Amino acid sequence: MKKILLACASGIATSTAVNHKLSKVLDEKGYKGQYRITQCKVQEVFAQSANYDFCVATTKISGEVKCPVILGIAFLTGIGLDKVVAQVLEEMKK
Amino acid sequence: MDIILKFFGFIQGLGANVMMPIIISIIGICMGAGVGKSIRAGLTVGVGFIGLNLVLGIFGSYVAPAAEAMIANWGLSTSIMDVGWPAAAAIAMGSAVGTFIIPICLLVNIVMLITNTTQTVNIDIWNYWHFAFTGSLVYMLTGNIVYGIIAAIVNMVIIMVMGDVTAPLLEKANGMEGISLPHGFTTAYTPIAFAINWIIDKIPGVNKWDINLDKVQEKFGVVGEPIVIGSVLGVIIGILAGQTPAGVLGLGVQLGAVLVLIPKMAALFMEGLLPISDAATEFIQKRFTARGKMYIGLDSAIGIGNPTTLAVSLILIPVALILAVILPGNEVLPLVDLSVIPYMFVLIIPIVNGNGFRAIVVGIVNLAAGLLIATNLAPAITSSAIASGFEVAANTTISSICDGANPLTWIMVQFNKFGVIGVVLAVVLALALALWNRNRILKQAAEMHE
Repeated sequence: MKKILLACASGIATSTAVNHKLSKVLDEKGYKGQYRITQCKVQEVFAQSANYDFCVATTKISGEVKCPVILGIAFLTGIGLDKVVAQVLEEMKK
Repeated sequence: MDIILKFFGFIQGLGANVMMPIIISIIGICMGAGVGKSIRAGLTVGVGFIGLNLVLGIFGSYVAPAAEAMIANWGLSTSIMDVGWPAAAAIAMGSAVGTFIIPICLLVNIVMLITNTTQTVNIDIWNYWHFAFTGSLVYMLTGNIVYGIIAAIVNMVIIMVMGDVTAPLLEKANGMEGISLPHGFTTAYTPIAFAINWIIDKIPGVNKWDINLDKVQEKFGVVGEPIVIGSVLGVIIGILAGQTPAGVLGLGVQLGAVLVLIPKMAALFMEGLLPISDAATEFIQKRFTARGKMYIGLDSAIGIGNPTTLAVSLILIPVALILAVILPGNEVLPLVDLSVIPYMFVLIIPIVNGNGFRAIVVGIVNLAAGLLIATNLAPAITSSAIASGFEVAANTTISSICDGANPLTWIMVQFNKFGVIGVVLAVVLALALALWNRNRILKQAAEMHE
């Protein structure tokens, strides 16, 4: 079970949109049921990161984070999405 | 024709809880999102609306009476309750202007792209509601739906132009290439930020001032979370209201709950709009991607992560509360929207080039003006809320220090106080800005090809 932290400004708006798309991609790649996504606010990443395998963020994360962070704006724009999906799948394999 | 009118009359008579799911489902099906998905989406919005009313019920029965007691005890004038942007979103979505806002805004965007008056493909469909909110207030005040729709369109055109203009600054400050933020709230503050920045540049000495805020977010970040703001404010209000210790603690937990739960209910609106938003995004992206220097318009939420943005917002929370008490003419008690102050600064920070001192100055001016605007618009917001099926307790006036304090919304409302002349003026303003932007874009394109 991979634990994925999804961070955005409010833990509500953009992370909800990314959550839907990320779940769809992961399900299509055969990871259905093998991951759990938690949405949070950007301010909470610092404290929560230690408990997660990796983090996908829709905004810049600064400071010390204890798990790998992937910038997920491509999930919103669709531009360069292949690269970001590849990064996510890389983390899923670890 | 008669049957169609009767049908619309019937739907409107059902109230927002039922009307919105039906309308969202119909729009979803029309945009090709699929029948099942569209109905589920519509129902999700209805659930969000009912949820919002439930949480506002807690607000009305526990928080509002305590706040009133506090106001009476200390002779304050802050009797208007800031119930936050989700209420504004609900007003926008539940109103007649909101019903048509998605197709209208898509059309405006397409026309602007074809005429080269914007470089932005705005796929942030969710935030179209800000434009609908302006339109709803104008509709409420004038009783004319056409004026309401024109106000929403003018608002969008201005925001699209400002989004284009600030995109290069955003790229420099946040390193996000090819993205603009045509956001109804965030982007409305850019002219003020440009003006204040320009003035400070001209003052010898002061133009060298800066405050380093790097450590603020790290040390006090937790203070900015809704649950903490709510609970602390609840305890303070409880004490000032002269409640018993049990009452004080209870109020802390209740106001914390309100600040956490209200945005969660709004998240349901967002979730419900996703299938429509996805369909619209696909529609517009397929047709308008391969043209010169283009931006994709996103939610300003993606810019919040900037540490200066978060730090300035944190500092301004107590400032907003002090201003609310001492500012003559203010009647709003800032509550729920204290946690969305960061959205105000997403574009201000790039405009002032990350200068902490200037950001705080711009913030104080915005908040002070915002409190007065929120006071001024409160009656219109309250009646719009009631018209949208909102359960506002009797004798309570509501507002929001985020969207209810939006300077652009306020200006649009003022324009419409002058009837046809005001509407014409607003349209001329939007056209002038659009043409100016077109010149800028064509010039830029010519330079690129040289």
